[in-house]
Amino acid sequence: MGEDRALMIEVINLHKYFKDHHVLKGLNQKVYKSEVVAMIGPSGAGKSTFLRCLNRLEEPSLGKILIEGTDITATRTDINKVRTEIGMVFQSFNLFPHLTALQNIKLAPINVRRMSEKDAEERGRQLLKKVGLQEKANAYPDQLSGGQQQRVAIARALAMQPHMIFFDEPTSALDPEMIREVLDVMDNLAKEGMTMLVVSHEIGFIREAATRILVLADGCIIEEGTPNEVLKHPQHSRTQDFLSKIV
Amino acid sequence: MMPEMVPSPPTGGNKTRPSWRERFGHVPWFRRYEFLGGLFLLLLALAFFLPPFGRPQSTLVWIEIAVYFLAVLFWVGIILSDIEKPNWMKAIAAVLIVLVFGWLFYQYSGARWDKLAHAFFNWEILSATGSYGSTTSAWIELLAGLWLTLQLAFFSIIFGTVLGLILAVLRNLHDPVLNFFLTIWVDFFRAIPIIVLMMLIYYAFPYLGITLSGVVSGVLTLTLNSSAYISEIFRAGIESIHYGQVEASRALGLTTMQTMRLVILPQAIRVVMPPLASNYVAMLKDTAICSVIAILELLKTAITLQSWLANPTPLVAATALYLLILIPMARFSSVLENRMKARGVSRALASKKG
Ligand SMILES: Nc1ncnc2c1ncn2[C@@H]1O[C@H](COP(=O)(O)OP(=O)(O)O)[C@@H](O)[C@H]1O
Ligand SMILES: [Mg+2]
Repeated sequence: MGEDRALMIEVINLHKYFKDHHVLKGLNQKVYKSEVVAMIGPSGAGKSTFLRCLNRLEEPSLGKILIEGTDITATRTDINKVRTEIGMVFQSFNLFPHLTALQNIKLAPINVRRMSEKDAEERGRQLLKKVGLQEKANAYPDQLSGGQQQRVAIARALAMQPHMIFFDEPTSALDPEMIREVLDVMDNLAKEGMTMLVVSHEIGFIREAATRILVLADGCIIEEGTPNEVLKHPQHSRTQDFLSKIV
Repeated sequence: MMPEMVPSPPTGGNKTRPSWRERFGHVPWFRRYEFLGGLFLLLLALAFFLPPFGRPQSTLVWIEIAVYFLAVLFWVGIILSDIEKPNWMKAIAAVLIVLVFGWLFYQYSGARWDKLAHAFFNWEILSATGSYGSTTSAWIELLAGLWLTLQLAFFSIIFGTVLGLILAVLRNLHDPVLNFFLTIWVDFFRAIPIIVLMMLIYYAFPYLGITLSGVVSGVLTLTLNSSAYISEIFRAGIESIHYGQVEASRALGLTTMQTMRLVILPQAIRVVMPPLASNYVAMLKDTAICSVIAILELLKTAITLQSWLANPTPLVAATALYLLILIPMARFSSVLENRMKARGVSRALASKKG
């Protein structure tokens, strides 16, 4: 698949230990531009840890991670620069509660990208419109519903114009009626060709938007393939087991 | 529209005021207004038969006074313990017992009130000029002392807060070597009594070739002492911010210092405002310790005037000045604290700006 497209992420033999706890056991993976890679697997499999190693919110214990060709584990790599190319959306939103929705979005472009106040404001409003929240620009996070907060969080990540976005269970903390509005925003991003890594168990979304599924269990990728292959004809018994539980 | 004084019964229909018997029929005799009113008039009348001014000589008279006081206490107790009595009546009763006690004490304690007033509340001595070879009155001297006290507090608070904040931010870098020294700093200055530290800096440092003026020694001492406490306050505030805030900031590419300045501290400062304010109240009080190194702040001024005038009135006046400044400050810090408790931190913010 897509070997002619740019290689965005290359993971080579990634291991992660927490003290003696071996959480990631030698992962290898390549992600190309505009791929939407869904990661599923039981709780504790290491999905979050894997995502967080990719922008070094966790330090990898062993192995190599190349983001757009840059080895981020090398000591002379400026990790802050790499992180500006990677958007991250968390399960618990993590909006800044002392700032309005618009200020949340403007913060990084102004302070990291050194964008002018005016340009940041303009882009912030555009992004709020894109996620359907233009009238909430001056609302504080605690005045927004969970779904609205998560959409602001996505807009905040997009404000840095990242080359890829990671989603770590973006809808797990949401009430059922708010899940759709967030998934719609993600769907649109996928259609626009954004490179995405998504930990999610929203099978409907995965079937529709994902180009590839990775199944993680016990720190290993036990199965990999298109949604059709993995969801319809799971090969590994643990995948079958897991899918029967969540569908 | 007429405000309805008595809520109509839930069955509705009957809008007439209930009769006296219906309203108060269930009240026991000793809580009735007839009884309490009669007792009040009786106590009022008996007051005229109390012994004359001065310390009573016989036990019998003491007993008479005690019985009278207990009777008033009984009357007040009935009113205060009755939930049906209106609040204004309870307030009057409470004030009355204080007044009666004060009045009895004034009459029969045998105190020489004229001498007491001359000693402790001698306002003439305070306002007279030239009584001790000075051209200004003691009042002016005290106000000058208060001004110096406020200056000492102001600079100690500013420097202490800045230093405390720096220590807290350094602590947050989680560098083991740095933390070791920070822990020593904080423990040392929290453990050493302020008065000892102040005397050490003022009287012992000159032997090391470091001579500091009184005011500088005072401010330095209070700054060092408060930096330890304030850094702990800031540290608690910083640690109270959810770690997800740091992760979100770092994922956006903010540096450690940007994360601290733009995300953590703005949230932490709102959390620490109440404890910080009560710390400032304590610091203003602690400036009184500067009197041991001959700084003419409010307390030292009062003590000096007391010995010059051979009269303790300046101390009483200084007390009044301290209270005048500190009670509003203490109240303000309580208000801050209650406001934080009543509304979530971010909610308080939202209503202020949004
Ligand atoms: N900071 C940490 N310290 C110690 N153990 C951790 C830490 N983070 C995750 N783990 C452990 O690593 C394993 C994988 O966690 P995680 O990546 O969060 O799984 P998933 O996201 O797939 O549910 C779990 O067993 C978890 O307990
Ligand atoms: Mg997880």
